[in-house]
Amino acid sequence: MPFREINSKMIEATVAPGQKLFSQRGAMLAYKGEVSFTPNVQGGQGGIMSMIGRRAAGESTPLMTVEGSGTVLFGHGGHHIQVITLEGDTLYVEADRLLAFDGTLQQGTMFMGSQGGVMGMVRGQVTGQGLFTTTLKGHGSVAVMAHGGVVEVPISPQRPVHVDPQAYVAHHGDVRNKLSSALGLRDLVGRGSGEAFQLELSGSGAVYVQASEEKL
Amino acid sequence: MTTYPGSGPAGPLVHDPATLPADDNVNAYTFCVELKGSEWFLQKGKMIAYYGSMEFNGIGHGRLDRLVRTSFHSPLHASDWVVASGSGKMLLADRAFDVNSFDLEEGNLTIRSGNLLAFQPSLALKQSIVPGFLTLIGTGKFVAASNGPVVFMEPPIRVDPQALVGWADCPSPCHHYDHAYMTGLMGGLRAMTGLGGASGEEHQFEFVGAGTVLLQSSEALMAEQAAGAVPNEPGVPGGGGGPGHQGQQGGAPRLPGQLGDLQRRFGL
Repeated sequence: MPFREINSKMIEATVAPGQKLFSQRGAMLAYKGEVSFTPNVQGGQGGIMSMIGRRAAGESTPLMTVEGSGTVLFGHGGHHIQVITLEGDTLYVEADRLLAFDGTLQQGTMFMGSQGGVMGMVRGQVTGQGLFTTTLKGHGSVAVMAHGGVVEVPISPQRPVHVDPQAYVAHHGDVRNKLSSALGLRDLVGRGSGEAFQLELSGSGAVYVQASEEKL
Repeated sequence: MTTYPGSGPAGPLVHDPATLPADDNVNAYTFCVELKGSEWFLQKGKMIAYYGSMEFNGIGHGRLDRLVRTSFHSPLHASDWVVASGSGKMLLADRAFDVNSFDLEEGNLTIRSGNLLAFQPSLALKQSIVPGFLTLIGTGKFVAASNGPVVFMEPPIRVDPQALVGWADCPSPCHHYDHAYMTGLMGGLRAMTGLGGASGEEHQFEFVGAGTVLLQSSEALMAEQAAGAVPNEPGVPGGGGGPGHQGQQGGAPRLPGQLGDLQRRFGL
């Protein structure tokens, strides 16, 4: 069930009986047909344990379940929306950037330290991701919010991509990332370029970058 | 629509009085009005620049009294509007919100008071029975602001209150409540304890019948403009006429949707 982009800030989702959809609470703009919106205590999928996991990880954005038959329009806070289609790979994204996603996708929480140990945790702090981030895996579509427009930058094994940590939105595919710092004497004396930290992504996949350094 | 600045290969496009469009958008955020001895009503403070000789007069200015009488039917909030007259070109914008013009032909359209920027005097502006909304009737052009592009939808549709910009020709705007998950045993527990929170989508505006509904692309509301008080008479919504109406005062209705917002903030 793909999302259709109506304009840069609004998407349309089709809901059919038996197909579930998760969306951020309060992000519905309008709907046609018989659709119900139920607050989701667990903040997504899985049982009570995944809920506790998300709460503990600070990745529990209030979600609601959208069911019924009809079409629903989503948009939130005037943020730009990027629809990402997953074909079996994993998307890494912050939970509060999730606008809506297919109920068929598997939702999980990942500890930043599991990718690169202590440096992974430092990376989470710099990108504003915190110690944990949300993963979505499977086949389906995800609508992700960003401040300003979103650019998709492909990553190939020969060509790693460097991203400003504050402009980083999400990435998918088989990607290793590390924080590369270019700290020098100039930064110590306050004459730095302001670009001391960069996120280096290598492997194969894609990274989504927003046209702004503002967090959501 | 004209060329957007920056769309050409040679850097930003520089406009002069001849290249500015007449009664059309300059870009998504700016609208250009051409005056040729004619008049436009605009909300105070929305003009950002103009060419030519123009006068901006507050309403109530002697010469304009007749104009106000014929096309302005809400004397109670006339002080929020100015009349631009003269000849030249005038640019309108509102805090970098998307701006669009709409044409009415012997039609009617009801719009949230904060979204309306300017209109031609051939249209009559009246207060809507729905508090906080204004109705335009007649033939002419008006300019409205919205957060994100405006989307037109056909009824039947249910709309989030914050996303509604306005509607045309729909006779029956009404409230719709969806509390299905609050029923049954689990729903009762949820309602009693407050656990689980609200989805924030329990309350919508419902439109049926023939017409068009205008939506903005986000739930960020424009600042409400005073639409003027209504006469304090029994039977007037928002007028506070009868003793039973006291609870409904104060502009936008405070309804369960707002509760959801609150709980959202607490992370429930």
